[in-house]
Amino acid sequence: MTRTVGTSAVRSDGDAKVRGAARFGVDVVLPGMLHAKLLRSPVPAGRLMRIDTSAAEAIDGVHAVVTAADAPNERTGIVMFDMPLFAADYVAYEGEPLAAVVADTPRIAQAALAAIQFEIEPLEPVATPESALEPGARLVHPGWSDFGGTGGGQWPRYGNVVAETTSDPGDVDAAFAVADLVVEGTYRGPRQYQAYLEPKMAVAEYEAGRYTVHVSHQYPFNVRDRVAQTLGVAKSAVRVIGHHIGGGFGAKLDIGLEAYAALLAKRTGRPVKMVNSAHEELLTAPCRENAVVRIRSALRRDGTVLAQDVDVVFDSGAYAIDAPYLTSIPMFMFGSIYRVGTARVRARAVYTNTTPTGAFRGVSGPYLVFALERHMDEIANELGRDRREYRLASLSDDGHQMLNGQVLGDASIMREAFDVLERRAPWSDLGRGSYRGVGMAGAIWLTNPAPAQATVKLNEDGTLGVITAATDNGSGAVTTGIRQIAAEGLGLPVDRVVVTMPDTDTAGYDAGSQGSRTTHVVGRAVRDATAQVRQKILEIASSMLEASADDLIIEDGNVQVIGVPTSFVTLADVAMTATFTDGPIAAAASYKTPPPEHNPTCASGMLLPTWPTPTYHLHIAEVEVDPVTGKVTVLRYLVAQEVGGVINPNSITGQIQGGVTQGLGYALWERLEIDGGRYRQRTWETYGLPLAVDVPDVEVELMAHAAEAGPYGAKGVAEPPVVPVGAAIANAVADAIGAPIDRLPITPQVVLEALERRQLGASCASRS
Amino acid sequence: MTTDALVDVSVVINGTLRRMTVHPGDTVLQTLRDDLGLTGTKEGCVEGECGACTVLLDDEPVDSCLLATAAVDGRRIRTVESLSTGDELGPLQKAFLDHGAVQCGFCTPGFLMTLTALLEHNPTPSRSDIREAISGNICRCTGYSQMIEAVVAAADGEEER
Repeated sequence: MTRTVGTSAVRSDGDAKVRGAARFGVDVVLPGMLHAKLLRSPVPAGRLMRIDTSAAEAIDGVHAVVTAADAPNERTGIVMFDMPLFAADYVAYEGEPLAAVVADTPRIAQAALAAIQFEIEPLEPVATPESALEPGARLVHPGWSDFGGTGGGQWPRYGNVVAETTSDPGDVDAAFAVADLVVEGTYRGPRQYQAYLEPKMAVAEYEAGRYTVHVSHQYPFNVRDRVAQTLGVAKSAVRVIGHHIGGGFGAKLDIGLEAYAALLAKRTGRPVKMVNSAHEELLTAPCRENAVVRIRSALRRDGTVLAQDVDVVFDSGAYAIDAPYLTSIPMFMFGSIYRVGTARVRARAVYTNTTPTGAFRGVSGPYLVFALERHMDEIANELGRDRREYRLASLSDDGHQMLNGQVLGDASIMREAFDVLERRAPWSDLGRGSYRGVGMAGAIWLTNPAPAQATVKLNEDGTLGVITAATDNGSGAVTTGIRQIAAEGLGLPVDRVVVTMPDTDTAGYDAGSQGSRTTHVVGRAVRDATAQVRQKILEIASSMLEASADDLIIEDGNVQVIGVPTSFVTLADVAMTATFTDGPIAAAASYKTPPPEHNPTCASGMLLPTWPTPTYHLHIAEVEVDPVTGKVTVLRYLVAQEVGGVINPNSITGQIQGGVTQGLGYALWERLEIDGGRYRQRTWETYGLPLAVDVPDVEVELMAHAAEAGPYGAKGVAEPPVVPVGAAIANAVADAIGAPIDRLPITPQVVLEALERRQLGASCASRS
Repeated sequence: MTTDALVDVSVVINGTLRRMTVHPGDTVLQTLRDDLGLTGTKEGCVEGECGACTVLLDDEPVDSCLLATAAVDGRRIRTVESLSTGDELGPLQKAFLDHGAVQCGFCTPGFLMTLTALLEHNPTPSRSDIREAISGNICRCTGYSQMIEAVVAAADGEEER
């Protein structure tokens, strides 16, 4: 039987992509199509006093100009209903849409934007989470208490706080009172831009009361639901068709331009295309949130953590998007891989007059793990313990209970990760030499449990068709993983499986490419549907071959009587026979990961109550620092990752190398700094993305502990490689320069300042 | 609206002489995608940083988003569409597939053109030659390693064996 699971099958869209023939969203062209552009606010906060579109409307080739006055403008959102389609009388961030122009060509639309006259009376922006939390701070949304939300919006919120999650077991202060030692630190993570190459786009049509929207989007069903919500129409009035996605990394999970394009398509009666410029993307993408994490640990002299007190504040920007979910993440990062006696964790998301932040691969993880693992180093240093040895002594064991009451049955995989990397690169051999250092960081991550439905059919030529709205934003989860899982179920070569592109009219619900869920959750639905198809094939073949179904095997595209190679029928024969007797062979299956047992009373405000299908990760970085320029060079980078069953080795390698590279960007170069509510970095050049000369080849050790529920044991793979990188690099740099690092990215300036502080500290100490 | 006079240009694109009338402000990228339907070349940052729009101008890689079509009269341009012959992929294209060098694929045409020029100038590049050569192109998905492996394999002639 042909084995396809475990092989590096080539992605089904690969041939078209290397030819330049693959049609991405931006390549979609429809007959009679118009082009639209958005007018965006040039200031981060202000009162919109007046907007006059008459001059723009008079331009030859302009079909319509739309503002808040002539659009459905209810506030909507995926969790908190706070975001209008257009600013009506108040501008909440730089880049917020004020109006849309639809014209014959992009050039005319762009020119017409300049003809719109408007007046904004600027307000002092609430620019940082710290200032937003100050007593008497101006409310970013004075009407916030009237905003609706999913579940009625009933989670803790007040002032400029969008959401708050708290776990407070009550015995924390007592533990601090008896501690031998208290170690504390404050750690800061920057905004990180996803920097996908294909900008957000939408092409919409309106016909007979229904909208069709062409997208390159990670989550087509969310586009359907959010366009319907925004325009106030039924979900069934919106059809979303997916095309190849030029990268997303989380930025293409909520709607972008789709509702505007749909609105304008109805208004003009013509298809309407919208594409953001690269500049608009950089200014308005829902980037990774900037955050401040404060940790205090109460310790016994032997290193035992009696209690930890953690405070997380992150910047939601002007709107919530998924921030009310993200305040739950700290509950799973603290008190998980390392034992803490008890822990109080408080996480708040805060409104500011800045671009709304959102989902970026490994949501919240990179700065939480940076804080936790920097803190572990600082504790070890304080105790005079080796940093690896101290971690090993602190690791949780199987049966460890997390802060939500969920039990980790497999926490000891973390210990295996330490062993695996020690065999490859002994800790004591790394980071030797002047201005060289080594750092490590561990993490636990989840496999997103959200639901999937898939249909598998046997085509009349004996190939398999898989109908799903799952999207492949580059990972290969659909174009290799899903096809391999279907092929494996019938022992077929992988090139005999065809997977549809997403279409919300024809495929069942799918929760999109997020949280490394596709291979595990969609794969499980596909495996189950394929098993049903297999059963039907055997039933039909049984009557064709006059043999018991138990005596049949499926091999190389044939159904054969075991031990009688001459007695067989092809799958094409079976399909044709079935189609014209019992009817075509097809089966559907659904899957959603059931929530692990937990205790809902452990924390308040947990919109994400559990951490399903966990995976374990250990990263080690070796760096060299130039003390004159402050430049950090990564000499070696090692990853031990628990991946469950391996479906496609090449895809896994690519996800780890790519995820680590994004993590290196976060650790060393990438940042969106905010100055008066506006980004300082306004071009790709100033933003600082990693180039080929900047990154090493990552050394990867896979640990495969099959997930019972997963298809062929698969668990989530793609998200977590980005999570521990900032921490591992920061620990290595701190080791190299003998001075703490408390913020990312570690630019040359940060290194030089840390070195300077060390020098000053040394000269003061020598005077005493 | 622009009242600039249109410009006549003759350019050899993928081996075929094309005579066109363009706006003086049109970039090669716009001409390729919007006028000639050669949509394999992608628009990324439009500031010459990402390299998604890379084409070969007289065998040298250039950013087509910053290059006026009116300025390339009489010259030769090659795009990703020139790399395959009918159904048959070129060696670099095959190597990209076999080594998992393609993820989202939006940057792929630009990298392939940069690397085509590299291999024409230097048929046996070292890994560091390859890293240097592609450092005008940004890939946000792969972290570059599998691309570099693919180029080494293509240079070795592995794809022809």
